[in-house]
Amino acid sequence: MTEGALAKVRQWFMIMRHYGGIKNTILALYRYDDLKVGKCIGADKYGNHYYQNHRYFVGRSRWVKYADRVGLDYDASQVPPEWHRWLQYITDDPPTTTPLKRQPWMIDNIENKTGTSQAYVPYTTVPNKIESWKPPSPTTTQQTVTMKT
Amino acid sequence: MSGIQLNRLLVALNRIKQHGYIPICKQSTAAQSKKEPEKIEVFVDGKPVQVEPNTTVLQACAVAGVEIPRYCYHDRLSIAGNCRMCLVEIEKSPKPVASCAMPVMKGMRILTDSPLTKRAREGVMEFLLVNHPLDCPICDQGGECDLQDQSMAFGSDRSRFTDNEFSGKRSVEDKNIGPLIKTSMNRCIHCTRCVRFGSEIAGVSDLGTTGRGSDMIIGTYVERLFMSELSGNVIDLCPVGALTSKPYAFTARPWETRKAESIDVMDALGSNIVVHTRSGDVLRILPRTNDEVNEEWISDKTRFAYDGLKRQRLTAPMLKNRDGYLVPCDWEDALSVVAERIGRTGSGSKMAALAGRFCDAEGLIALKDFMNQLGCETVCVEERFPNVGASIDLRSNYLFNGTIAGIEQADLVLLIGTNPRYEASVLNARIRKAWTHNDLQVAVIGPKIDLTYPYEHLGDNTNVLNELTSGKHAFSKTLNEAKRPLVILGSSMFERPDATSIYASAAQLSEKLRDVSAKEDKEWRVFNVLHRYASQVAALDLGYKPDFKSIIDLKPSLLYLFDADEGLIKREDLPKDCYIIYQGHHGDRGAQIADAILPGAAYTEKHAIYANTEGRAQQTHLATTPPGKAREDWKIIRALAEVCGVALNYNDLDEIRDRLEEVAPNLTRMDSIEEANYFKQNVELLKQHKTSFNNQPLTPPINELKDFYMTDSISRASLTMAKCVKAVEQQLKSRHTN
Repeated sequence: MTEGALAKVRQWFMIMRHYGGIKNTILALYRYDDLKVGKCIGADKYGNHYYQNHRYFVGRSRWVKYADRVGLDYDASQVPPEWHRWLQYITDDPPTTTPLKRQPWMIDNIENKTGTSQAYVPYTTVPNKIESWKPPSPTTTQQTVTMKT
Repeated sequence: MSGIQLNRLLVALNRIKQHGYIPICKQSTAAQSKKEPEKIEVFVDGKPVQVEPNTTVLQACAVAGVEIPRYCYHDRLSIAGNCRMCLVEIEKSPKPVASCAMPVMKGMRILTDSPLTKRAREGVMEFLLVNHPLDCPICDQGGECDLQDQSMAFGSDRSRFTDNEFSGKRSVEDKNIGPLIKTSMNRCIHCTRCVRFGSEIAGVSDLGTTGRGSDMIIGTYVERLFMSELSGNVIDLCPVGALTSKPYAFTARPWETRKAESIDVMDALGSNIVVHTRSGDVLRILPRTNDEVNEEWISDKTRFAYDGLKRQRLTAPMLKNRDGYLVPCDWEDALSVVAERIGRTGSGSKMAALAGRFCDAEGLIALKDFMNQLGCETVCVEERFPNVGASIDLRSNYLFNGTIAGIEQADLVLLIGTNPRYEASVLNARIRKAWTHNDLQVAVIGPKIDLTYPYEHLGDNTNVLNELTSGKHAFSKTLNEAKRPLVILGSSMFERPDATSIYASAAQLSEKLRDVSAKEDKEWRVFNVLHRYASQVAALDLGYKPDFKSIIDLKPSLLYLFDADEGLIKREDLPKDCYIIYQGHHGDRGAQIADAILPGAAYTEKHAIYANTEGRAQQTHLATTPPGKAREDWKIIRALAEVCGVALNYNDLDEIRDRLEEVAPNLTRMDSIEEANYFKQNVELLKQHKTSFNNQPLTPPINELKDFYMTDSISRASLTMAKCVKAVEQQLKSRHTN
């Protein structure tokens, strides 16, 4: 059954049904360079979908389909920590069945901002080599006026 | 035709009458021809050398090209002979001889490379290192230390000294001698160079020695400040790391720094300096040897005011916003707004320009060309000069004609209304040197001040000057007997209301003395003006008006301040709608009253020409780039002229120097003095002037050390200088004063 041209055609249909039409399949191939069929385990609040298929061996058997909104700008850091532990085989229980305890101090997942305008740049601790002259401004002149009076 | 024009014509006619043509000046030869004494022959390592008698063995070796290691010996200090490092073997002498103190004798055979000499040096090095801490890694002298170098070159490779008793090395308490000099007295090897510098050159006996042998200590005995305006020089003199620079402490090693040869602008002497920088940061300023100007000394202001270059800087152009506050902007905006204001002013007759003390010749010529092309003739400098006789038309009227090196040939110096100690510290050291070595006689008209050498005080009022000119004063006889007299007139006297009379009397007196001295030396020049501002001579050479009052009288609607920070013109003196443009490098008095600010470059940040008080043109080199959006001064004016639609025909440094050469060729002939003459003609013109003095005493503005440190926009921004002022004030309150 898994051999022969007919089997290949059946597989193609299965894949296309899984992705929902020819257009979506081509789009998925374009985005991930791969077409994998599996069971949808769940989704997080950011719109990422998580899949599992034990036909692939460990390491390839769990994957994520990133939210459509990010397009090609998907990044591993967009996976929130509770899914990260499932995705990386730290646990076999996905957060859909065994949700993690939510602590009040926990913050939302922030993706890696490197390369964007919000990237973290440490501020300099070295004083300026040249100290510029500060011309009298409304605040300083008011101060001097109040000091005089 | 006005009176001045008539005078000028008269001068020109006189020139032609005397010479038949307008003569081209030749370079002065400061050195006089003396009868050369007979030379004697000595042999250095078998090589015959001819040296003058009375030279030392060490100097004879230097002539032969052999450098003898030394610590205590220094060219410009007296001979102490206490370090023993310069021991050499002399044939037929039983012991090695200290070559720095040994005069040469005919046929002397000196061996500088013999086993005995080598052993003697190794022995001396061993003894010096017995008590020297091994802290080279944390010592600021590391890399430029004579002890380091010479122990490598001449020392033994091991020491026989072992501290069997574990008694430790000699330890001496560090002294606090002020905010400039850091002491680490454990490192001292007792060469006494600093003590000799203090007593011989700086003329203050603060430093001295106590104890003897290994108990000897260099210090001030009680804790006190090293009260000298030349104190920083002991840092250079110290062969080890005992005296190092406090502001420079632990900042850099000498091999990390880039060096740019430059010229100092803190006074009008134009001392030669080297600016040390690292990654665009001025780290220190050291003197450069130039026997014609500063020998190898510089004043503390020259050496330590560099931190002022990093504070209060103008780093971006600024324009006033609607609320009347200065706001940083781009060059494009600034230039277009300023150009628009200049255009709106219309004719140049309602414009004026004022140049300050730090302006370079390039900037000055660019500004003058720009203003003149706009039709503005009120282009002034801050320092005044009396408009009498030929005034600034003759260079000899405003130069230090006798030259700085000429002081050493003089036998009498008359100081009128000047305090060279604080107006030109290095020049004062030169007078002191002449007083020590040549028995120079000094007379002073002015207040009784400590000049570090004794002088005859003639009084501080104008009557004395009057009597001297007419020859009625008791001192006139001595004056007239002088073979090579110098009259030094302080430029601060030109601020007085009776400046013309003082100037005329001094010039007439000088001319009288020149008649006498001409018998001895035809070329001898008596009349000297000691300027205070580094830009003054170049500005006068380029035809700037030395009369800032004319700006106030003009009531201009646009004023261009170029580095003018003396605060001579106040907002109140000008019409209300007057637009003030300030171009300069520091946010000081000028920037405070400005409507538009164009940031320029300080003297370490440009290739520029400055003429010192002798008229000697010297060049600074770029050590760091101007900070932020600041630019070289002449380029700013050139750009502004372009926006205004005024053609200035120079686009690079060479072209602007060609323009300088057209106007004042002496400014492009570096390191030489163009002779200036026509003293006689000037005095002829001065005869028309009627002297009228007022009764104010002839007092120069700076008479105390604490006033010396902060005098201009750079030194006012300097923290080091502020610390110096504080230290001096504290010292004056202390019980341990002189």
